[in-house]
Amino acid sequence: MLRLENLSASYRGLKALQGVSLQVSAGEIVAVVGANGAGKSTLLKSIAGQVATEGAIAFDGKSLAKVPAHMIARMGIGLVPEGRRLFPRLSVEDNLRLGAYARRGDPNRFKPLDLVFELFPRLKERLPQRAETLSGGEQQMLAIGRALMTQPRLLMLDEPSQGIMPRLVDDILAAVQRIRGLGVTVLLVEQRLAEALEIADRAYVLQTGRIVMSGPAKEIAADDAVRRAYLGI
Amino acid sequence: MTLETLLQVAAGGLLMGLIYALVAAGLSLIFGLMDVVNFAHGELMMLAMYAVFVIWDATGLDPLWQLPVVAGLLFLTGMAIYRGLIARALSVPFNRGMVQIFVTFGLAIFIRGAAQFVWGGEFRAVNHTWLSDRSLNLGGVFLPLPQLAASAVCLAAFAGLLAISRTEFGRALEATREDRDAVALIGIDRDRIFAMGWGLGAGAVGIAGVMLAGFYYVGPNVGASFALIAYVTVALGGFGSMAGALVAGVLIGEVEAFTAVVLEPSLKQIGVFAVYLLVLMFRPRGLFGKL
Repeated sequence: MLRLENLSASYRGLKALQGVSLQVSAGEIVAVVGANGAGKSTLLKSIAGQVATEGAIAFDGKSLAKVPAHMIARMGIGLVPEGRRLFPRLSVEDNLRLGAYARRGDPNRFKPLDLVFELFPRLKERLPQRAETLSGGEQQMLAIGRALMTQPRLLMLDEPSQGIMPRLVDDILAAVQRIRGLGVTVLLVEQRLAEALEIADRAYVLQTGRIVMSGPAKEIAADDAVRRAYLGI
Repeated sequence: MTLETLLQVAAGGLLMGLIYALVAAGLSLIFGLMDVVNFAHGELMMLAMYAVFVIWDATGLDPLWQLPVVAGLLFLTGMAIYRGLIARALSVPFNRGMVQIFVTFGLAIFIRGAAQFVWGGEFRAVNHTWLSDRSLNLGGVFLPLPQLAASAVCLAAFAGLLAISRTEFGRALEATREDRDAVALIGIDRDRIFAMGWGLGAGAVGIAGVMLAGFYYVGPNVGASFALIAYVTVALGGFGSMAGALVAGVLIGEVEAFTAVVLEPSLKQIGVFAVYLLVLMFRPRGLFGKL
């Protein structure tokens, strides 16, 4: 479904990715793990068209080079970004509904709302509230909900566990598994190794902009070398 | 000053103030959306006024009937300015702030020069409109119909802007204003939203220009004085605030009207700029400012 070949990217003048090749097949949960600054966020931003890249990115066989970011989203790639990037002064409901803005004309475009409320019942209780008044975990749920409203086929999550209570981390990762169960492919970037590898099918280990290891998540989890690479020793 | 004079002055201030408010609303909309101050805002109003004059001169069509046409033309002009100039100015790799200032400032000078070149420097006026020389007598207070119609139309345009802000497009506009990079993640083309914002801002000042042309002289420099007042209005109301533009526009209109009576008509802007200084000193974010 998604194929990166020899991808390089610079971010703020630094080489953040160097020759990264990666593949995601339909229906998988693929995790990209690595320490802080390994280039994980840049990887997702590159796919979403938000940073300039060299190398090839293909989605369903179509090259994403020169496709503007908003068209990449319309092609079915949803990104839940680092820091969530909600619209803080708009209500929870507006944030969700705007996810379907690009599908105007489609009478069923608000249908994913039911799914979002089923996954995250808290959001339904908070509909009229401004997004900025939500807790960190609720904001993460809203960010995932907003991305689901675009009806993505590939959902990319950038550190969904960042800055939220441990109990909610489990809830959110459980939701990610349910989302996959509905046929959405997931590319998950995480700093929390154990949690990410537990729900992923396959994983890549990223270290200073390069893929240093890849394979089934269970094998990666069992490999001592990963921990060393991960810690940058 | 008798009560009657007082009411007359207040009414005049209110009518003019509503026009100021709509001019300021267009400026504020663009600034609030993308942090660009449109220094050519007054020149867009001047273009609308010349358009009215030219159409009226050629066909005799009353300014009131020209309203939808000229407002539409200004909307397209605003979109074209965004696509042709502003989008490029936003994409420069460095010194973006300066480039933005110079591009709209340069545009203002260009439009003014072009108007002078095409229509000459002399004042023109749209005489004999359907409403001219008629007024409404409200218990001794005279409200000239062209001014009354202008302020009514401006109020209606405000209602229109408010209605737009309640639509789904209005939500997308607000979202783009809050996080211009994040909207791409949900498939929104921010260039389209920005272009629409410029269209609406130019359309608003265009509507004010059309109605103003019914009773005000037209000349290459007419926009500049209105633009100055618009900057004061936006500063007083709060950058990016529509309600602020409305309240501040009326306040400025009143201040101007009463300064003209208390001092003398030629000094009427002293009061306006005194208000500006007071805002800067005591409430720099304006009455309704969010910053």
